[in-house]
Amino acid sequence: MRNASLWVGLTLIAVVVLTAAVALFWTPFDPTANGPVLLAPPGWPHVLGTDAFGTDVLSRLMSGAQICLLVGVLSVVGAAVIGVPVGMAAAIFRGWVGEILGRLSDILYGFPALLLAILFAAALGGSTWTAVMAIGIATIPAFVRIARAGTLEVLSQPYVEAAELSDVGRTVIAVRHVLPNIAPMVWVQASVSFGIAILSEAGLSYLGLGSGPDNPTWGRMLREAQDHIFSTPLLALWPGLAIAIATLGFNLLGDGLRDVLDPRLRERA
Amino acid sequence: MRVRRTLSVIVVLLTAVLLAACSRPTPLPTGDGPDPRVLEIGATGEPVGMDMITVDGAGIPFVLLYNVYETLVKLDPDKNVQPLLASDWEISADRLTYTFTIDRAARFADGTPVDAEAVVHSFQRIIDGEGTGQILADFAPLTEARATGERTVELELATPSNYFLLALTTPAGSVANPEASIASLNTTPAGSGPYVLGDWEPGSLVQLTRNTEYWGTPSHFDVVNFRYYADPNAMNTAMLSGQLDIVSNLTVPTALGQFESDERFEVLQGYSDGEVVLTYNHANEALANQQVRQALNLAVDRQAIVDAAWGGQGELIGSMVPPTDAWYEDLSDVYPHDPERARELLAEAGYESGLTFRLRVPTLPYAPPAARSIQSQLRAVGVETVIEELEFGVWLEQIFAFQDYDMTIVAHVEPRDLKMYAMDGNYMNYENPEFTALIEAADRGNDDEFVQLQSEAARVLAEDAAANWLFLLPNIIITTADISGVQVDQTSLSFDVTTIASSE
Amino acid sequence: MSRGKRVLIRLAWFVASLLLASLLIFAATNLLPGDIANVLLGTNASAEQVEALREQLGLNRPFPVRYVEWLSGVVVGDFGTSMVGGQPVSSIIFSRLEISAWLVGLATIGSLVIALPVGTYAAMRRRHVDGVAVSAASQVGLAVPSFWAGIWLVVLFAVTLRWLPAGGYVSYWDSFTDWVRHLILPVAALSIVQASVISRYVRSAVIDVLHTDYFRTARAIGWTRSGAIWRHGMRNISISLLTVIGLQITTLLVGAIIIEQVFAIPGLGSRLLLAVTQRDLAIVQGIVLVLVWAVLLINFLVDVAYQFVDPRLRQEAT
Repeated sequence: MRNASLWVGLTLIAVVVLTAAVALFWTPFDPTANGPVLLAPPGWPHVLGTDAFGTDVLSRLMSGAQICLLVGVLSVVGAAVIGVPVGMAAAIFRGWVGEILGRLSDILYGFPALLLAILFAAALGGSTWTAVMAIGIATIPAFVRIARAGTLEVLSQPYVEAAELSDVGRTVIAVRHVLPNIAPMVWVQASVSFGIAILSEAGLSYLGLGSGPDNPTWGRMLREAQDHIFSTPLLALWPGLAIAIATLGFNLLGDGLRDVLDPRLRERA
Repeated sequence: MRVRRTLSVIVVLLTAVLLAACSRPTPLPTGDGPDPRVLEIGATGEPVGMDMITVDGAGIPFVLLYNVYETLVKLDPDKNVQPLLASDWEISADRLTYTFTIDRAARFADGTPVDAEAVVHSFQRIIDGEGTGQILADFAPLTEARATGERTVELELATPSNYFLLALTTPAGSVANPEASIASLNTTPAGSGPYVLGDWEPGSLVQLTRNTEYWGTPSHFDVVNFRYYADPNAMNTAMLSGQLDIVSNLTVPTALGQFESDERFEVLQGYSDGEVVLTYNHANEALANQQVRQALNLAVDRQAIVDAAWGGQGELIGSMVPPTDAWYEDLSDVYPHDPERARELLAEAGYESGLTFRLRVPTLPYAPPAARSIQSQLRAVGVETVIEELEFGVWLEQIFAFQDYDMTIVAHVEPRDLKMYAMDGNYMNYENPEFTALIEAADRGNDDEFVQLQSEAARVLAEDAAANWLFLLPNIIITTADISGVQVDQTSLSFDVTTIASSE
Repeated sequence: MSRGKRVLIRLAWFVASLLLASLLIFAATNLLPGDIANVLLGTNASAEQVEALREQLGLNRPFPVRYVEWLSGVVVGDFGTSMVGGQPVSSIIFSRLEISAWLVGLATIGSLVIALPVGTYAAMRRRHVDGVAVSAASQVGLAVPSFWAGIWLVVLFAVTLRWLPAGGYVSYWDSFTDWVRHLILPVAALSIVQASVISRYVRSAVIDVLHTDYFRTARAIGWTRSGAIWRHGMRNISISLLTVIGLQITTLLVGAIIIEQVFAIPGLGSRLLLAVTQRDLAIVQGIVLVLVWAVLLINFLVDVAYQFVDPRLRQEAT
């Protein structure tokens, strides 16, 4: 079962990544050009049919995979790059600095990402970048928490205490001992956050606060498809499936990674 | 033991939530007597206040005009001026003085008679400069309003104006009860119409209840609920599942088939006053060039846009005039779809290497889809567009106030808004002396000249390619089969419920 | 450190976090471009008119003054008045809060009702095909956007079968059956996704129980498996339920905002989106504050509850 999670997850992600990579060079049709046949049913040459603009749905889905991965990668990497050092600092600097940092991230942890994104999108106009920013900022506290907890645990190990006595600077300790030790947890968190980021982007686009009309994201396709839910319900099926597949992939990968990287948890699952 | 404690913590938490939720009963919306007749109307575009004079937006007159507030005169479905509060009126030979006689029976909802003083009170507010830009422009020719008898009012104009009598049928001409303080009007309208404002829950409901003191013919329903939907699809599904009697405007035209094939519903398709315009900012150097604008108009296939963005429902226009106006002329072929010619014109104008524009559109149902089509079509002639979607509030500021855009798409729903292109400081930065002269002459001229010159002005505007009039929004109303009396063509900003009845 | 002292320290942090959250929200909403004055005056207003209205609405005063004034009002339940309709924000929030609270509360109960048996089953049958299938199904449920589920529920039950209304809300004072009928689909859409999350926590909690000595003992002296779990495993399971409720309350509130849009439910979320469009700052601030404070409050209560249920925390220092 645990290996199954990992492999199924990796397979699903590979499908998404490959699709996005192929779409860089080739899609069956131009994903932003309008076509003459509107709302065509699945068939040939439009394998998944066309939307209300006559645009090929498969091409849009493929191109949507790129933006989905882009939003996920940028927001998660951004959040990790900020969150992990802050979390480590919160653990390393004892006293009020660490305490404040820790508490601050606890408070922000409860701040709903979507509320943040609504404020952002309202302020800056909905776009892929505001979505990345809002989702990224909302993801930071998760990394702070995980890095802080992991660092505290590592710092309490006898060998680290010894290193500290031998007058090696705290930063060196952090880089030499803490980082490699908390890396597995960060990877797991990154995978889980990636899944959440995809869902969040879809929700934002659905509310009309995400990417613009010339960027075919899956959430946006879903929103556009809703206008045709009675006449052409299949249009709402494809982007929803794509979102589910990508999210499922990253969730399963997170589970699988946890099992592999964190031996203490192996027994449970 | 501990388990029980945990559970009790959870139970206490849940109980607290439930108690908090239960503590305030909402009052029943209707009075006593036999079952009230209730009309449920689905709508989008909520009012942001209740004072039509000082607060902008088509949402307020949609609910209040003719239903809660009445005007001296009103347009019938054929756009002829008919009496409402005024039983009679006269226009002096020099067309500078209008004398209105107010109906003897007319009463405000609190029983106070609608008299000359009340009319003067309402109009003086606008003459004194209080009101939105639209209202002030509508009443611009009016210099004085005076009561010459208990029920006679004289209105004095600075110049003859054909627009003026028509303006009296709009929100500007509404008469409010002078007993009500002006400050209270934004929450509590005080009119003389067959309904008064009941519940108002921003975000979901504006409720009108019967004005039991109404002086005219009572209308059919006791309660009219305007229910608002942020998502037009939610409105459609509510109609389909039987929660609404009327969808006041179908903003998802692709869902039309769903209603047409269902015998529970009746579909009314008429003309609206909403011209969907691809507006050019004439402050942009390239767009100030007539050849460029002509090229852009030639590059756009408007029928394809109607098909993609509005389910093929909607009339191609070609200028700022709906077919229901007397000065309408079919100008939709002035710039037919001709990408070849468009490329030539761009080359002649010196832009063969291409152009890039910022197309900033509001997140209203028609705009983003139209933008998507336009982007694809303009790309075919070498013109790139960067689409930005702005929420309507931001859009108003960025486009209207700051004029920070190259192109935008919006529907202008005001009646008789051709003259907008002649206004000083219009948001398009458009100036065309020939057009302005025609509009001014039309306003001053006699009835025939009015129609003739307006029509000429519309043609000048179209030929100059001042903008690209993409299509006229259809006025698609869905009702249940028992409903009658709904006006098919939109001729005012009001959703007039006074004539609506049910056979059930 | 005594339990009482630990609770007090937590209380102090809780109050501090309420204050910090309020400052963040006030700052964020006041940085929004797109001004209420423009929205109110509309398309043809002059710059002077806009400026005059800004002055009249008090938008030109310094930030700290407005913040302190706002916060001191909030503390006594006065959230200011709506700049659009002129109603007190507190009454707007209160009437909407009830609807959203029902949605979130019922979805929590609904997801618990689904998740407890499903999670337990998945744990007990984890080495069998059906148990694995249940776990896999919960993974899929986790990956589905709740609004997507909502859309299909509407198509199936409201439009095609016409069993239930597609959206809207009726107060239970008006008609209890209609109230129930209106809530079934939105609650279901939220619960399906929530239940997937919770069932996974329940599953691992039950697996932990299955590995404990007291469980083995109970089995050895003749308890049935489910009987033993019910008798001895509930504490373990309730701890993990506490955790999950604390973690999921945020997701649930956010899910409710979107679901309110799908089903046209006049709750806090749909009011918030409307207020953002209208740039009605007083309402935006008020609703976001209430939502964030609700999250903080629930997390605080969960935190305190831990002190009483979790034996490990009872000895640990903070």
